[in-house]
Amino acid sequence: MTIPGFIIKNAFRNKRRAALCVLSVAASLALLVILLVILDFFVNPPEDVGSSLRIAVRNKVSLAAPLPVRQRPIIAKIPGVEALTALTYFGGNYHGESSTYFAQFGMEPSQLEAVFGEAKMPRDQLEAWMANRTSCIVGADTAKRYNLKVGDKFPLVGTIYPVDLDLTIAGFYKGTTDDRNVFFHQKYLDELLGDPGTVGMWWIKARSAEEVPGVIDRVNAAFANSSAEVLAETERAFQMDFISMMANVKSLIASICSVVVFALALVSASTMSMAIRERIRELSVLKALGFRRHELFAFILAESFGLAAVGFILGVGGICAAFASVDFSAASGGFLPSSLSATPRIIGIAALVAVGLGIISSLAPALSVSRLSVVDGLKTLD
Amino acid sequence: MTAAPIVQIRQLTKIFQQGEINVTALDSIDLEINSGEFLTLMGPSGSGKSTLLHIIAGIDRPTSGDCIVQEYNIAELDESALADWRNQNVGFVFQTFNLIPVLSAYENVELPLLLTQLNSRERRRLVTTALDLVGLADRMKHLPKQLSGGQEQRVAIARALVTDPRLVVADEPTGNLDSHYATEVLEILRTLSSSGKTVIMVTHDPKAAAYGSRSIHLEKGELVR
Repeated sequence: MTIPGFIIKNAFRNKRRAALCVLSVAASLALLVILLVILDFFVNPPEDVGSSLRIAVRNKVSLAAPLPVRQRPIIAKIPGVEALTALTYFGGNYHGESSTYFAQFGMEPSQLEAVFGEAKMPRDQLEAWMANRTSCIVGADTAKRYNLKVGDKFPLVGTIYPVDLDLTIAGFYKGTTDDRNVFFHQKYLDELLGDPGTVGMWWIKARSAEEVPGVIDRVNAAFANSSAEVLAETERAFQMDFISMMANVKSLIASICSVVVFALALVSASTMSMAIRERIRELSVLKALGFRRHELFAFILAESFGLAAVGFILGVGGICAAFASVDFSAASGGFLPSSLSATPRIIGIAALVAVGLGIISSLAPALSVSRLSVVDGLKTLD
Repeated sequence: MTAAPIVQIRQLTKIFQQGEINVTALDSIDLEINSGEFLTLMGPSGSGKSTLLHIIAGIDRPTSGDCIVQEYNIAELDESALADWRNQNVGFVFQTFNLIPVLSAYENVELPLLLTQLNSRERRRLVTTALDLVGLADRMKHLPKQLSGGQEQRVAIARALVTDPRLVVADEPTGNLDSHYATEVLEILRTLSSSGKTVIMVTHDPKAAAYGSRSIHLEKGELVR
């Protein structure tokens, strides 16, 4: 027999309790990792390859306020602007759904490759889309979810605008950080709305990253003191602004994370205390046999740490495997992207929590054992 | 008995504080125990015999007085030194056996040896010898729950012997055994004493005390004879 063998036998002497303890740690750590991944998604949204060059231009008053079409030629002439497209959020529902999980945008098809170059699709499908005013292109995730084919009808019922879109699928794209969106012709929407002369936003592709700040300044200056002042910012800044609207969600998730860790600490500490309390007599015998305080402390710490480590492996390993196989978009009703993954930082945080649990849950029982006299311990349950 | 004393107790007093009341468990005891003796401590409940045994074995400390065992004054050793001393010099046998239920008989006996520098082969030799001595070599893989009470106590004795201590202390070792198993255990203790080990046993039972080479009686914390 070895000391580690002795510790393992003690840790699993009550198999049901050990299993329940490990499972509670595993489930809680898995939940913690999920919450941290979601939090990370909100705080650090994924970026496209071209996002460092993209500039979002919206109405300074509100994201919901439109921008006049007449701004387009002015922006196009601004030095440093390489490409430009309108982008209007439609917000329709598909197939009678009450809440559709993908977003739909009107844009200028001829600008797709120039502005959103990561969106890869067959050339013939792109040309077909550009050629047909009532066609659309659909992200690969959405196509998979609804089992869509080229040529399928794709009707969208307007919820923001008082019109419905009767679209036909011209092709599918993939390669962006969010392959759920649907793009259609801005002109088609304009026609249905009676040419209102407005768009939702402008999206610009700058010539180089160095020119981005200058382009932003020039765009903002171009419409300063006009009837439609704009707020131009990098794609990253725009995403963060958008996310900041969900501040309460972030706080909520952070709070839940804290509660999960706290509850986990209580469960583990309680389990270890119970396990040690029923072995006070045995631990006193070990003391009588010559085991010293720090050795008993190490036994309890190792036992507690071992249970937490097994819980960590099961919980975090399990959830990492789930990240690879679960469609989170479908599971969250479109709130999250299809694929999520735990970064090394998040796994590290979960590991630290597991280590902390091992230490915290062993402290109280270890201290009580070290303070207990052998004689008092031997009297226990006498 | 001409052997040198292994235990020298002078003016030993132990007072327990129970709330605001001081209870004198041992009152100015003087006692010498010679090497190789089989001493039995007798007396009614609360007479202080177990307390005396605990102090001699180094698991409790006196309030005043000296308890010198093998030239070490128990009161002067710190916690860590006392633990080492117990491991090397004292074998414990308890009334309720106190075996670790998740360990086999072999592993229970091996437990005190984990604190030594011995390798697994040397440990195996010592454990096998100790289990042989108590007649349980064929039960070494059994868990305590698979053994009878008498067998459990023999395993506990093997655990007490495995480090080859000079002093074996037994606190009512036959208290939980029927007469047949009690006789077995007492015979083993007497054999140990014959082989040179000093055995100190607390008992209520005059028949058990008869196995000892000397018997002393305590009453209200004092030696009465």
